[in-house]
Amino acid sequence: MKRALKWTFLGTLAAFFIVPLLAMARFAFQSVPVVLLTPETALQGWSIDPIIAAAREPQMWSASRTSILLAVFTIALTLLLLIPLAVVTEIRAPRLRPLLTALTLLPWVVPPIALVVGVAVTFRTGAPWFLASVFSLVPFYALWAMPFTYRALDAGLQAINARTLYEAARSMGAPLPVIVARIILPNMTASIVAAAALTTALVLGEFAFASLLLKETLPTFMVNFQQSQARAGLALALVVLLLTAVAISLVVRVLRRRGLTVQTTGL
Amino acid sequence: MVAVDMRNVRKVFGSSVALEDFSIDIVSGELVCLLGPSGCGKTTALRILAGFEKADAGTISVDDKDITSVAVEKRNFSMVFQDYSLFPNMTARQNIEFALKSRKIDASQRTAIIDRMLSVTALEDQADKFPHQMSGGQKQRVALARAIATSPRVLLLDEPLSALDAKVRESLREEIRRLQREIGVTTVFVTHDQHEALAIADRVGVMSNGRLEQIATPRQLYEAPVNPFVATFIGSINKVPAIGISDGKWECWGSALTGSKSSTPGESVMVGVRPEDIRVTPEPGGSARLTDMSFLGPITRATIKVEREESVVVDLMSAECGSLRPGQEVHLSLRPDLDRVVVF
Amino acid sequence: MRLQPDTRTGLLVALPFVAFIGLFLLYPTIAIIYSAFTPGDDFTLAGLGRALSGSYRQGFINSTALAATTALIGGVLGLTLAAVMRTLDRPRWLHSTLDSWSAVASQLGGVPLAFAFIAAIGTQGILTKLFNQIGININDFGVSPTGFWGLVVVYLYFQIPLMFLVSLPALNGLRRTWREAAALMGASGVRYWIRVGIPILTPAALGGMLLLFVNSFAAYATAYVLNPGGALVPLQIRFLLQGNVISGEEDLGYAIVTWVITLLLASLFLLTYLQRRTLRWTNA
Repeated sequence: MKRALKWTFLGTLAAFFIVPLLAMARFAFQSVPVVLLTPETALQGWSIDPIIAAAREPQMWSASRTSILLAVFTIALTLLLLIPLAVVTEIRAPRLRPLLTALTLLPWVVPPIALVVGVAVTFRTGAPWFLASVFSLVPFYALWAMPFTYRALDAGLQAINARTLYEAARSMGAPLPVIVARIILPNMTASIVAAAALTTALVLGEFAFASLLLKETLPTFMVNFQQSQARAGLALALVVLLLTAVAISLVVRVLRRRGLTVQTTGL
Repeated sequence: MVAVDMRNVRKVFGSSVALEDFSIDIVSGELVCLLGPSGCGKTTALRILAGFEKADAGTISVDDKDITSVAVEKRNFSMVFQDYSLFPNMTARQNIEFALKSRKIDASQRTAIIDRMLSVTALEDQADKFPHQMSGGQKQRVALARAIATSPRVLLLDEPLSALDAKVRESLREEIRRLQREIGVTTVFVTHDQHEALAIADRVGVMSNGRLEQIATPRQLYEAPVNPFVATFIGSINKVPAIGISDGKWECWGSALTGSKSSTPGESVMVGVRPEDIRVTPEPGGSARLTDMSFLGPITRATIKVEREESVVVDLMSAECGSLRPGQEVHLSLRPDLDRVVVF
Repeated sequence: MRLQPDTRTGLLVALPFVAFIGLFLLYPTIAIIYSAFTPGDDFTLAGLGRALSGSYRQGFINSTALAATTALIGGVLGLTLAAVMRTLDRPRWLHSTLDSWSAVASQLGGVPLAFAFIAAIGTQGILTKLFNQIGININDFGVSPTGFWGLVVVYLYFQIPLMFLVSLPALNGLRRTWREAAALMGASGVRYWIRVGIPILTPAALGGMLLLFVNSFAAYATAYVLNPGGALVPLQIRFLLQGNVISGEEDLGYAIVTWVITLLLASLFLLTYLQRRTLRWTNA
């Protein structure tokens, strides 16, 4: 009986998540408008033209490339900033951990628009060229991802008992850079990948910063595109969503097979 | 009077056999230890007894009543876990009270029982503290108090001392023993530490690979192990060459011994001899050479190389080694009263 | 001042991070808060007062209501999902599918989601039509992309996965041995949950819901796509601080931002406190 209840619950939730996607797919790939939809016409008008139309837009590709590049750079910046911090905290100053955990939650306290305006004001006088580049989004994205990425890295370090590993290696005479490079980092693969995956999803879906800074990324392109070509826009959105989900689950599966469980972040 | 009787219990996890035809009976008021290396099945046996796992075959009876399919909640057992398992959101007092309430013990009696438990385990000043405010030893004492507060039919302990430091381990071990004797509760104690087991148990069941190898008093296990596994697991033992005489009798260094296996005349085997059962006398031209002596206080440990064989370790009374020196040639013999040995 | 090599390394490592946070987060925030208090070069609280009046007050009420509702419902559903998943071992693809889906849905949600829900429950939505067939106009219940409950439904799409993600570690912190000890004592499952399980989970659950609250309050993309002119705080801020508006209203925007920061900061403190509570108990 209990089992039946559990599966009913899961089924209902699954429906909640799947139905809108189905509606999206139907709207995008079936040319029959809703008002004309009847059981007879239900199977008519299906084609993949909308997604082809989207693929024909050169802007779509440039926007996608921009987004992917942004993801890569954001991951790089995040790892560069946070890994040393997380490692040093775990190894040398574990008492700072609660402070840092709280600190890395701060980005979520300030609404994107405020951050954009604040930063714009700061840079307008000093370095106006900064905000003109599309890569000005990278620091914002790194900030926005910080609550999750720091946690993922920190959890990974705790899981491998980095402190003990460090002390053992130290007693063998290894210098800090060697310890980090050859012992700590290789064992952090799972959490680095987890952080990277979350960051990628975040960057590919991030709209607020991009639209406020008037940059053309995949999400902003999708919103604009959808206004002119509704069906193609929806088709594109659906494809992006599914592709990202598949990509991430593949990565997780590959890691799992190698015995590395990707730690999902927590509180 | 037999309190607990497990018969022919079998348990398989996936493709590995955790328990193979396991049978044991425990007398009322006894403290039995299940001892063995990790993976031997001792915890599985305990958990099946508690009801957390279902046996694939076999029966479990308590007081002659079959409880194999009785639910965990109804067995009236208690358990102390390795990780203490105290509810972190409750104080010591509340933890004990939870146990009493769950057993539907009257409110009027609860306070008295709790107070008695706290005083018996010397925890009065911890009564209103939370687990995260206590040390490991204190937490385990609270767990113990909580377990015996409900006067369980059987008390189960799953490696309760493994997570504690050595000093705490020893004192808590004695306390468990003292309490158990005082209350007289039938107790099953699982551990991988033989010193623990030998120190407090009435009987110890040595397990290996899902089988009960031998169950006996600590002394019997030490002096009369029934097979090589038990002989090497408990205490230390030397492997010494022997020749078969006839019909279960073996000859070793001049003594005739009864072995754990039947013998054919002239058969060459190794038998197990404890370090304190070997006698050493200096003998120029002897076949053995004394290579090392370590003074350990009342005992001196001597290492002796026997020609063509491995070295044996002999424990001698320090007062009686006056004439021995490292490098000497010596003659080895066995303690005259030595009768039985394990054949490897 | 002679520094220990460790402190030196520590500082060396912390410096870029601190500089980054300072430049991109702390300084801009402080600048804005300062401006909120000093519109027109005078220190005054008037701006803050205006920020809570009229349509802006409605905006705050709407945003708070939306955030609280989705935090509560999403919190309960996400936690239940995590609890149910914990007890299911098979099928094996369920766990990894759910894990990756949660990661994607909680982060990528915004834009594609908004589209999906327009397709489902918008005026031309297929669900709208289906419900119409059986005589129910879901618009009357506020279930439209611009209605309150419509927004709740959409927000739940990324709130539930988020709660699921943060609940998993908390549930893993519930030791199996507690349940076993309770069972052996004779406590039924219900009794265990009421007296042990739920009390221990509560700080983590509340913390998760607070996270959901913060997340929902700040959500921008979905709101923008569904109803750009809607009365929600993030949209109102955007209207005041960007786009072609009469300048001078910017200070009002800063004031609203200051209120938002205060609200969310308070939530953050509460969140941190609850985290500490959770840790204390699960490490006991």
